[in-house]
Amino acid sequence: MDKDEIKNEIVAEETPVETADKAEEYLNNWKRERADFINYKKDESRRMEEFARFANEDLVLEMMELVDDLEIVAKEVPGVGLEHVSKKFSELFKKYGVERINMEGQFNPALHEAVETEKEGTKMVEVRAGYTMHGKVIRPARVKLTK
Amino acid sequence: MAKILGIDLGTTNSAMAVVEVGQPRILENKEGMRTTPSVVAMGKNGERYVGVTAKRQAVTNPANTIYSMKRLIGRRFSDAEVQKDKKLLPYELRAGAHDDVEIKMGDKWLKPAEVSAMVLQKLKADAEDRLGEKITDVIITVPAYFDDSQRKATKDAGEIAGLNVKRVINEPTAAALAYGLNKKKDEKIVVYDFGGGTFDVSVLEIGDDTIEVRGTGGDTHLGGDDIDQKIISYFIEEYKKEHGVDISKDQLAVQRLKDAAEKAKHELSSTMQTEVSIPFISADASGAKHFSVIFTRAKLEELVKDLVDKSIQLTKKTLDESGFKIGDINEVIMVGGQTRMPLIVQEVKNLFGKDPHKDINPDEVVALGAAVQGGIMQGEIRDVLLLDVTPLSLGIETLGQVFTKMIDKNTTVPVSKSQIFSTAADNQPSVEIHVLQGERAMAHDNKTLGRFILDGIPPAPRGIPQVEVSFDIDANGILNVKAKDKATGKEQSVKIEGSSGLTEDEKKRMMADAEKHAVEDAKKKELVEARNLGETLAYTSEKMVKKNDAKIKEEDKKELNEKAEAVKTILKSENIEEIKKATEELSKVAQRIGGELYKSGQAEPQPTPPNPENEIPKEDPKD
Repeated sequence: MDKDEIKNEIVAEETPVETADKAEEYLNNWKRERADFINYKKDESRRMEEFARFANEDLVLEMMELVDDLEIVAKEVPGVGLEHVSKKFSELFKKYGVERINMEGQFNPALHEAVETEKEGTKMVEVRAGYTMHGKVIRPARVKLTK
Repeated sequence: MAKILGIDLGTTNSAMAVVEVGQPRILENKEGMRTTPSVVAMGKNGERYVGVTAKRQAVTNPANTIYSMKRLIGRRFSDAEVQKDKKLLPYELRAGAHDDVEIKMGDKWLKPAEVSAMVLQKLKADAEDRLGEKITDVIITVPAYFDDSQRKATKDAGEIAGLNVKRVINEPTAAALAYGLNKKKDEKIVVYDFGGGTFDVSVLEIGDDTIEVRGTGGDTHLGGDDIDQKIISYFIEEYKKEHGVDISKDQLAVQRLKDAAEKAKHELSSTMQTEVSIPFISADASGAKHFSVIFTRAKLEELVKDLVDKSIQLTKKTLDESGFKIGDINEVIMVGGQTRMPLIVQEVKNLFGKDPHKDINPDEVVALGAAVQGGIMQGEIRDVLLLDVTPLSLGIETLGQVFTKMIDKNTTVPVSKSQIFSTAADNQPSVEIHVLQGERAMAHDNKTLGRFILDGIPPAPRGIPQVEVSFDIDANGILNVKAKDKATGKEQSVKIEGSSGLTEDEKKRMMADAEKHAVEDAKKKELVEARNLGETLAYTSEKMVKKNDAKIKEEDKKELNEKAEAVKTILKSENIEEIKKATEELSKVAQRIGGELYKSGQAEPQPTPPNPENEIPKEDPKD
């Protein structure tokens, strides 16, 4: 379409003030759309980074269940070398930024999940290990609070 | 403009979303989770926990851990529902001055709205943290059956949290908004919401610019938790059968069974059976005991059939009460995590005779819809800016009648794309740009939109001239294709109006064709590509011999020419493997001789071998 044609049509139908308003509105909407898009791109790249950092999370969480079982078996059937396998897993986890949650100190629901408690119990006994990944708690440590 | 936060303030979990670039998106909380438990607690030293931390400390502090406040908000203390819930809740309740409910937390008596406000406050803070901007305006959703008092109390909760509640909207309405069904005038919609602790069903009718609730029903104590409980009981029963021991009193064992039950339930949504295996679940004098069972989808469905049937009965009843018939319903929407269960989808489908909407995450759809409502109010979702997409791919024909896509289907317009192409023969004076539309691999299977010739290309070996082809679709759907010779600056173009000048039927047929012929098309394309590669290699090999005639040993020349001839002969066949083999052999010899030439430093610099995919033949071989 010819540019002049568009102009002529608008002039024929609307007053110049309205045209100026419309132009202003369109320009503003366009600027807003561009700004939204640029901001979105920034957010998106940040999200992608985050996504990449935690891309292994699901796999790690599933593996943890095997490690849980392994630890239980290692405790029940000591002396056959299972502790070594379990240690290897911890080292593997560490390599990917996954660290076991410390059991020292007070019960802290940001890190620990209480599953059983004795009256007035404050001492934590680990029932199932918890882990952080790059500092984020991906699975809280399950604890029993005893006296 | 500050964003409006959409909040699904749920009985067990809450979620929040905002609209960004016209699309709603769930915001994660500080802990990195997409939903936040609607739980609040007061610790022994007066510290406040909200969300997952409150949930994790619940067993240590049951009297001061408040959950399910949505069951109490805006209700009278004498209300039968409240009296029923009072028996199930571990925290203390009492009647307030106006027969309203008060909850004891720590040494204070709070209104349910004050407790809900603590959840809203956390959501607000976490959203501000995520977005890096201040949030004041929110949309909060409530069940469709909430009365004025419950709605008012929910709004109060928002205000206590320092929020400006722009609107309180119905959860089923939000779900319909998330699916964009508000545009479907006069449609009747059923929203089937099977959550963690409650089951709600609503019948909606879309008006001119309103969504009206025509009926509500459900069961405030039917949810996914009941399903989990059934599975756990089954596991306990199985264990008892095998080992003769009741482990239902062993909290730690039950906890492990609960984890396994949830996991198995999720797995059985996509697989037919799963093996549940928990080593060393308990021990007695005879030694350690393990729990192991093959759990099938059929067994799960048998266990929960009565719960699902109940929900279907309630759906029928609600529909009856709304005055509509099954046949009146145009759409069905699934909400709540439990609707991922294939049995539920099937039963709902059987009832309505149509596939329910379930593409949007059922845990998030309500929050997303609330954000959409905010977006509409803010003008962020602008109808005028609904942009079209290209219904089919657009591209040009290249060497061997291959269709080379320039703009993929479903690309949002306006858009422009450009790519550099070259010639397919030495001294080719012109290229023909054959513009096509479709999904098939070969040019002649697609629809011709136009063609033009760019001539006046200065003589040069194949692959050397650079022709920039650009496709531009403007906002009105007008396609402009331009070809420009980079060397001379000469250009030609064609304008194609209404590039999607196809009827819906044509579009559908073309897409179906593409799917049907995908395999054979891929084979054809592979053949052409193999031929192009062989041809290009034969050409460059012969050229190498010509250029370095004196420097190549006679026997090498002979071998190379023989292999090149062999390739040329085999090119006429349809046998991809043979073409590839002959090309491979020629390639080996050419590389060896080429390598020797380079080593002796006598080779003339060679142009990079042209990419046959980007070559445009002079004329359309079909014509």
